[in-house]
Amino acid sequence: MIACRDLHMDYRSGHVTKHVLKGVSFAINPRDRIGLLGRNGAGKSTLIRLIGGVEMPTSGKVVRRMTCSWPLGFTGGFQGSLTGYDNARFIARIYDKSYAEMRDFIEDFTELGSNLKMPVKIYSSGMRARLAFALSLAIEFECYLIDEVIMVGDKNFQNKCKAEFFEKRTDRALLLASHSLEMVKQYCNRAIVLHDGKATLYEDVAQAVAIYEKL
Amino acid sequence: MTGFNAGLRVQIKVIQALTSRELMTRFGRENIGFLWIMVEPLLFAGLVGLVWSFIKAPDSSGINIFAFVMTGYVPLTFLRHSFGRSANIFVANSSLLYHRQVKVLDFIIVRVLIELVGAMMAYIFAGIILAFLGLFPFPADIGSLVLGWAIYVFFVFALCTILAPLSEVSEVVEKLVPISIYISIPFSGVFNLAAWLPPNVRDALMWSPLVSGMELMRYGAFGSAVTPYYDIPKALGLSLVCLLVGLILCRRVRRTMTVT
Repeated sequence: MIACRDLHMDYRSGHVTKHVLKGVSFAINPRDRIGLLGRNGAGKSTLIRLIGGVEMPTSGKVVRRMTCSWPLGFTGGFQGSLTGYDNARFIARIYDKSYAEMRDFIEDFTELGSNLKMPVKIYSSGMRARLAFALSLAIEFECYLIDEVIMVGDKNFQNKCKAEFFEKRTDRALLLASHSLEMVKQYCNRAIVLHDGKATLYEDVAQAVAIYEKL
Repeated sequence: MTGFNAGLRVQIKVIQALTSRELMTRFGRENIGFLWIMVEPLLFAGLVGLVWSFIKAPDSSGINIFAFVMTGYVPLTFLRHSFGRSANIFVANSSLLYHRQVKVLDFIIVRVLIELVGAMMAYIFAGIILAFLGLFPFPADIGSLVLGWAIYVFFVFALCTILAPLSEVSEVVEKLVPISIYISIPFSGVFNLAAWLPPNVRDALMWSPLVSGMELMRYGAFGSAVTPYYDIPKALGLSLVCLLVGLILCRRVRRTMTVT
């Protein structure tokens, strides 16, 4: 279980303070597939970063009782000047996994071939997404935090993700921030709508989608 | 206690991974790579020693000028590089903070560690070369030499934990880092022995852990040719206070940091 307890998050720039989250509480249980809906700037990425422990909330608490991936998104997690292989080696080391196994898995899953010998900074966002997913799948987290990024992949990659998350690893939890309502409807069993710094959890995904569409 | 041990094990893994990553990005795979870290302070000490040997009369204590400059300059290079590398490391490495087990303190530890290994190698290498030319004695007291280094390194590390978070929140501090290095030169005992100074100045300098460390190092290397002045309790106490302030600052800055 991962529990968010009354999370508040302010961003300050000079004298301007923006209250992004104003008291968010909910729990992610094992096997939960939670869709995270909200308009641009509603705080989806911020919430995911707080749950992933990348940033710290202004007040409130995140309790992690299961292992949780880093936020899989467009940025972060990689050292741009290093190659795909070097990044994989770094991540294998800090998560205490065997690099040889990880290398075999990412070669197979990403299909990036010789691109893995190139610095990550020249990768397209789709290529980065492939690498990030491959690495996090090789580590086998209990909960995956996904920030939009499945959508940048091509059909082949999306199918692979579906197979890995929704067929092979059905025992894992997932928090999926997405603007693809199709995807949320198809794969999530619960959904959260973020609006005005507050989060509302719906057990009925169709209801959440209907409310989100009216925002 | 098992929680602490598990945490320690993870941090050691992270530090190992960060170290090899740092070495790879800094020196690349080609070139003489890691050797540069050793050659660079060596060249510097050698050239400064050469210039000094022309402009300064030989010292009556019988210590060779190259040996004297080397023993002062290599630790100073370590200090200079450690300070310089501590500026803005949190934001520069922030993409790695996506991984929860990577802590900002790890960045500082790794940078100081790499500089330390380089400085140690340079010190030993230069010592061997100078000894081969008959300009450097076999260390008279290895215990004092190591203790001096330990005090010096501990204080430099403690200062880095203060400089690193401050450089993130204030541009002024970032600009002050190079200046602070030059200011620290007279207080670090690089170019002089405390014994050469008037007693009141010497007493004041005992507040600098750098001087205590340097004096002990020199005594360890040259033995009775120098009369060392040092104050270990003061040096350790001051370093601990700095470290405590630094750890608090690191924590505060990390809490409000925006990670991109």
